Amino acid sequence: MSQSVTLKKEAPVVKVRNKRRVSVGKIAVFAFFGVLLVTQLYPLIWLLIYSLKTNEEILSGSFFSLPAVWQWSNYSAAIESGNYWKYLYNSGFVTIVTMVSIILLASLTAFAITRFRWKYGQVVMLIFLLGMMIPMQATLLPLMLIFKNIDILNTHLSLILPYIAFQTPIAVFILSGFMRTIPTEIEESAIVDGAGVFRIFGSIVLPVSIPPVMTVCILAFINIWNEYIMAATFISSEKLKTLPFGVYSFVSQYSVNYGAIGAFLVLGALPVVLIYFLLAEKITKGMVAGAVKG
Amino acid sequence: MKVLKVSGWTIAAFVLPCLFLYVCLVFAPIIVSVYNGMLDWNGIGQSKFVGLANFEKMFTNDSLFWPAVGRTFLLAGFSMLIQLPVALFVAILISRFVRRTGFLVSSYFLPVILSVAVIGQLWKTIYNPAPMGGMINQILINLGLDSWTHSWLTEPKIAIYAIIVVALWQYLGYHILIQFTGIQNIPADIYEAAKIDGASGFKADRYITLPLIVPIFKISVVLSFIGSLQSFDLIMVMTGGGPANATNVLASYMYNMSFLSMKYGYGSAIASFLVVVCLAATVVINLLFNRLDKRFS
Repeated sequence: MSQSVTLKKEAPVVKVRNKRRVSVGKIAVFAFFGVLLVTQLYPLIWLLIYSLKTNEEILSGSFFSLPAVWQWSNYSAAIESGNYWKYLYNSGFVTIVTMVSIILLASLTAFAITRFRWKYGQVVMLIFLLGMMIPMQATLLPLMLIFKNIDILNTHLSLILPYIAFQTPIAVFILSGFMRTIPTEIEESAIVDGAGVFRIFGSIVLPVSIPPVMTVCILAFINIWNEYIMAATFISSEKLKTLPFGVYSFVSQYSVNYGAIGAFLVLGALPVVLIYFLLAEKITKGMVAGAVKG
Repeated sequence: MKVLKVSGWTIAAFVLPCLFLYVCLVFAPIIVSVYNGMLDWNGIGQSKFVGLANFEKMFTNDSLFWPAVGRTFLLAGFSMLIQLPVALFVAILISRFVRRTGFLVSSYFLPVILSVAVIGQLWKTIYNPAPMGGMINQILINLGLDSWTHSWLTEPKIAIYAIIVVALWQYLGYHILIQFTGIQNIPADIYEAAKIDGASGFKADRYITLPLIVPIFKISVVLSFIGSLQSFDLIMVMTGGGPANATNVLASYMYNMSFLSMKYGYGSAIASFLVVVCLAATVVINLLFNRLDKRFS
């Protein structure tokens, strides 16, 4: 836990600056930052411009030029020919159901591990930690066979269940790390007042744990919203595809209009980019916390 | 009283739903996978128990297996030897020279949060031949370097490098962010003390930042190594392992064997191998860094 606390503190920026050296060195460093910024962002900006061009403009070979007329029609073409809204809805549905389930299940487990007096708490924790090292890819085939047998292959359930399972270790880890630090006095006074375990969990511990719950939400959102392989393996009907899989199949099947392909890619990236613009700091902090714990 | 005393039933109610789901969907499949690895089975017909024959064939008599392992480590090598040092260098520079770090760090980070499906298709477009609107080839032609143009993703010799570039590009920002956060958490008074002793600038980095960043750097190494071992969604999106298996890594080879060639038994054997390598790699990296930690402290 100590790690996440230090992460959240705004550590003072190290000031080892030497004012006399506002010189060639500093200019070189900022030029380097600029070059890196261009390499990291230009492909995305290029895509945005690409998506607003006509076929002729794209094929003409002037990669740098802006479109003469901004072809917003590419976007309507993309939305009409691909099932964009359907994919978006599916992704939203799967992500939200998974996130809510993870929070509920993982916080119950974390609560039990950290607040109950029982022998096997650490064993359970160990099981979860061990699972963090298991590569998801290795489970694809067995999961497909299992899902086929219980007849949920090609349903959203076949995505939601493994998504929950693969996100729980990190969630349990983050949440139990936090819950361990909640002072027990709060609970004790609640018990004196006659509150049961579920009451203590629901009205005391869970509300206090909002910050780590947010971290878990962010990690789960990024991972699940972007997940492609399981969706492509377990889902086959058009109307159940999530956005990443939908983007993939649209782009590989639709080849008439390059601009529309670009537009669909932009639309595919848009939701998560918008959320990133709103919550950049929370997201970067959450991802670091997740990495440090993992 | 330190902890709550409750009945076994209550504990079960709290823990079992999560644990059950987890064990069934994460652990059980791995065990099934190891068992399936010993079958000769195409998924539909009768399966036949063949013991370790699949593993034997995999290690000794499969001309595609070791090259795929090799490419997996190639990716890991590029990531650890190029991406991570660059990320550390950038992180040090940012924490030294930039006052408002938010914009820079979050811009570098942007590609990380995009789906591999989008990134892969975007870069496929970027790698397209110039007459199809591909950016790289158009740039080369505009620079007068026509002979440098390639069909980047369909030439067997360069396709894997074209993919590695994308993987390095996408996750560079992640490692920058992790290491930048690590540097920021180094207490500032250490640097002040060092300054009094005459160590500032790059000298301070050498004797303070580098040793103190080791635990965070380890996280980056683990992430990059395990990520490379498991990397295949990018490959599935961009080439599917082709042309002629030239971009297959361990995981994509496993996927193609299982789902395209329908060799369930053989695919499972590769999957089991992947699990073992992942576990072994995590243990080895941790041991190495523990030793490194001791040497520095």
